[in-house]
Amino acid sequence: MTGRMVFTALALTAALAAPATALQLGDSAPQRDVKMRNVDGRQLSIADVAGSKGTLVIFSCNHCPWVRAWETRIVELGNTYSTRGIGVIAINANDPSSHAEDGFDAMVLRAKQRNYQFPYVVDSGSTVARAFGAERTPEAFLFDASGKLVYHGTIDDNAEDEGAAKQHFLHDALESVASSKPVDIKETKALGCSIKYYGS
Amino acid sequence: MTARRLSWLVPLLALSAAPALQASTGPTLMPGTAADVLQAVRAPGARVVLVNVWATWCIPCREEMPDLLRLRRTYADRGLRLILVSGDFTSDTEQALAFLREQGVDFPTYLKKGSDMEFIDALDPHWSGALPVTLIYDSSGTLRDTIYGKGSYAQFEEKIHTALQ
Repeated sequence: MTGRMVFTALALTAALAAPATALQLGDSAPQRDVKMRNVDGRQLSIADVAGSKGTLVIFSCNHCPWVRAWETRIVELGNTYSTRGIGVIAINANDPSSHAEDGFDAMVLRAKQRNYQFPYVVDSGSTVARAFGAERTPEAFLFDASGKLVYHGTIDDNAEDEGAAKQHFLHDALESVASSKPVDIKETKALGCSIKYYGS
Repeated sequence: MTARRLSWLVPLLALSAAPALQASTGPTLMPGTAADVLQAVRAPGARVVLVNVWATWCIPCREEMPDLLRLRRTYADRGLRLILVSGDFTSDTEQALAFLREQGVDFPTYLKKGSDMEFIDALDPHWSGALPVTLIYDSSGTLRDTIYGKGSYAQFEEKIHTALQ
């Protein structure tokens, strides 16, 4: 292999491994027509689940302690707002060769055990996560009725202790979108697990 | 070890009056905010400082830890300071201490305290919060570079060389 070929291969590997820059507020959801395998066996895209009031895309997985810490809250929010005109979809973009518990069968079990009443799909190849520029789990992207990103970030300000959380960022953003009102706090951050991209 | 080289420990040791979480021997894990960490970064005596934020359940964090500790040993005489900050939940403190002990860590380290968002933005506004992360500061305490995700020995070493120039 020549030096140029090696360089090209390395560059391609890096391009595959690295996520794109994260979506900016006002952006539309990329890759919204990409079909992903849901835990019920259907092939669903973000466009398929979009709601009349808005759409919540949340990058999640099974193994991450932060997802587990927030999971009850995530499921409650998803189940509640999916009945209020918000389309909800949880996307697992992790390569299960990194964490076996992020495999499809474990996802099916998890969605059943935790009573997910919204799709939980596999982003095989991490294509959608890369297009979003998603980097961690859990990471939420909320789009309004016109399809524009109006909230990007975390669930609330205390993963470890729900009772001690003072700012309920995602709840408040969902409530605003469901009520067709502007979102107050639009961008937040929290520690989380890095997404284990396929090919990285 | 000279007093100058020990001076960076002062901010960490000052915290020992706080409810420090200490194993019977070996490492200590003390609650620390971003301000505490940055105070340790800017304490005199280092030419380059690596701040690594890790967690016990984070496999890439565990994988890169031996390289970070090896770099600390190799470059200590050239002014490298390594500051470890665990992002574990407080309920996982014992596991974090056990991992540090297993790795042979025998110096004070931090357990992140306070708001995640304030912590993240104070260290690097471009950081999403995903672990691991390693931040490289120069002798003035200015952030020079960040490695998002798992770094290799060679990658860390290159950043150290650049900061030492």
